[in-house]
Amino acid sequence: MSEPLPLAPVPEDPLVVHPLLEERRTDARLGEALLRPVLTTPGPGWWALVGLCAALTVLLIVAITVTLVTGVGTWGNNIPVAWAFGIINFVWWIGIGHAGTLISAILLLFGMKWRSSVNRMAEAMTLFALTCAALFPLLHLGRPWKFYYLFPYPSSLRMWPQFRSPLTWDVVAVTTYLTVSVLFWYLGMLPDLATARDTARQSWRRRVWGLLSLGWRGSARHWRHWRTGYLLLAGLATPLVVSVHTIVSFDFAVSQLPGWHSTVFPPYFVAGAIFSGLAMVLSLLVPARRALQLHAVVTDAHLDALARLLLVSGLFVAYGYVQEHFFGWYSGDPYEMHAMSILRTGPYAPAFWLVFTCNVLVPQLFWSARLRTMPVVLWCAALLVNVGMWMERFIIIVSPLSEDFLPSSWRHYAPTWVDLSLLSGTLGLFGLGFLLFLRFLPPVPISEVKALQHELAASEAFARAVSAREGGGR
Amino acid sequence: MSRWVLGEFGAPDRLVAAARALRTRGFRRMDAHSPFPVEEVDAVLDLPPSRLPLIALIAGVGGAVGAYVVQWFTQAVDWPLNVGGRPLHSGPAFIPITFESGVLAAASAIFMGVIGACGLPRVTHPFLRLEAFRSASIDGFWIAIEVEEARRDEVEGALRELGANVVLAVEEVP
Repeated sequence: MSEPLPLAPVPEDPLVVHPLLEERRTDARLGEALLRPVLTTPGPGWWALVGLCAALTVLLIVAITVTLVTGVGTWGNNIPVAWAFGIINFVWWIGIGHAGTLISAILLLFGMKWRSSVNRMAEAMTLFALTCAALFPLLHLGRPWKFYYLFPYPSSLRMWPQFRSPLTWDVVAVTTYLTVSVLFWYLGMLPDLATARDTARQSWRRRVWGLLSLGWRGSARHWRHWRTGYLLLAGLATPLVVSVHTIVSFDFAVSQLPGWHSTVFPPYFVAGAIFSGLAMVLSLLVPARRALQLHAVVTDAHLDALARLLLVSGLFVAYGYVQEHFFGWYSGDPYEMHAMSILRTGPYAPAFWLVFTCNVLVPQLFWSARLRTMPVVLWCAALLVNVGMWMERFIIIVSPLSEDFLPSSWRHYAPTWVDLSLLSGTLGLFGLGFLLFLRFLPPVPISEVKALQHELAASEAFARAVSAREGGGR
Repeated sequence: MSRWVLGEFGAPDRLVAAARALRTRGFRRMDAHSPFPVEEVDAVLDLPPSRLPLIALIAGVGGAVGAYVVQWFTQAVDWPLNVGGRPLHSGPAFIPITFESGVLAAASAIFMGVIGACGLPRVTHPFLRLEAFRSASIDGFWIAIEVEEARRDEVEGALRELGANVVLAVEEVP
């Protein structure tokens, strides 16, 4: 390293359209910029949103209290529609969680560098979405205070859970997913908690972050174990994402009901989960990027990549719709055909065509490179996809139940105010969790962005050196 | 009682160069501290590979086997319950829970393993009392050498010679 590096221009990579980091900063400046949201006092916008979300959370508490005191009869469920909002919201929320793990685990395994700037927020989204999801099966139990019956514990009743039931599989899958997500998130955050501890000036902040960071000192030994552990957790989380929503789809697919009894369900559900999760990541990331001034680290490259993923997973979902309707027809079974036809032309047609518009047509916008980097378009499309995916869960669950084999037992479904309050209440709880996360924990992985910056600087220096040598040789 | 001498080098490549130089001078009980992982330093410090994968494998297989045994014991042995004529020992139906429990056990073992292998939680480590060492998680690249009292001056001299921006000594108060 005795000679200074020649300053020839870096050759442009035709595949890199947008830079991963908008500008180069010193490590200290970068860390400070990424910690600004947690070290400064919040503005009125943050308080207004917290107020709104807190109000919705109060509504959630009211709805839960009504459910617990009076019973599940306060919901709009009936016979035959014994599953409705409770399971719709569960499947929707848990699906949203999947994109967080996808971004943080699968992209880590594939060595995608752009994940570094967005994975923390995506993982936080996963945790809050899972918390909301876990509420619903619990409340749906009817007697939620006896939830521990679902675990195999040696009770004097000699009563074991029924392990051949997909609903018991759900319990294990969701518990595992929540635990692994928390561990993955927290382990990934340890170095940044130490950065926050060392940057903070007030002693109470230092103490709190000091305790949370467990005394992380960034020693070479720490990093070695941390990197191995983080990669291993990513490796475990990857099949977990696929397995959890597969198991959720088994709740339906192992039944005998037309419209549910389908082998396409596991991949179709996983694709839908990732699709809805990516939409939620975009719905949170686009405003957060603007509010927290993260344009330097969450660049057009990130929006572009997320939009491409949204398009791809949207195509998977569209393929799922085609398969579902094709097999409904190809089975030749009149009940299956009926289950599909009531979607296209029957009482659920408006919902189905809304789903089709939001989930199949809207993502097609992102064939256009210009639209992929327009935050407003992305945000609106993401919100529409969220609505579409919720409606998709609605028609999957409610329509086969309400019109099954015997027309004499058909009955349609309408939600009550308790159902609607539970849904909007969990939206509030989710928003509240995310807003508090943005305030109290580093929202962007600082150590990873610093490492990325050094890596990019090193590869640019290398490219410059190579081009200088080639230029000199000619 | 342990004593350390710490030096700060300002950039990852300088940290690696200094670590290499110290190693050729015969210093062995060294560690590096940086705000993000510096890969080359692992080789210089001659760190052994992490044993976490083995721990994860053992825990994962153990968790999976345990879950399968619990399901088989409860459904087929302790309380046989005929549900729709399905076999009591229904292997395929036991797979989802077996897989999930294996993952849960492995993930918990990895997390505990990282915490344990790093010697955490330790919020009262002597280094954390040093105001200047705060930069280790921001933009400081530190080398820490564990020394006896007699060699302290020699090590401090070596660090200054190698161009350390800051040289500090710290000892553990029992």
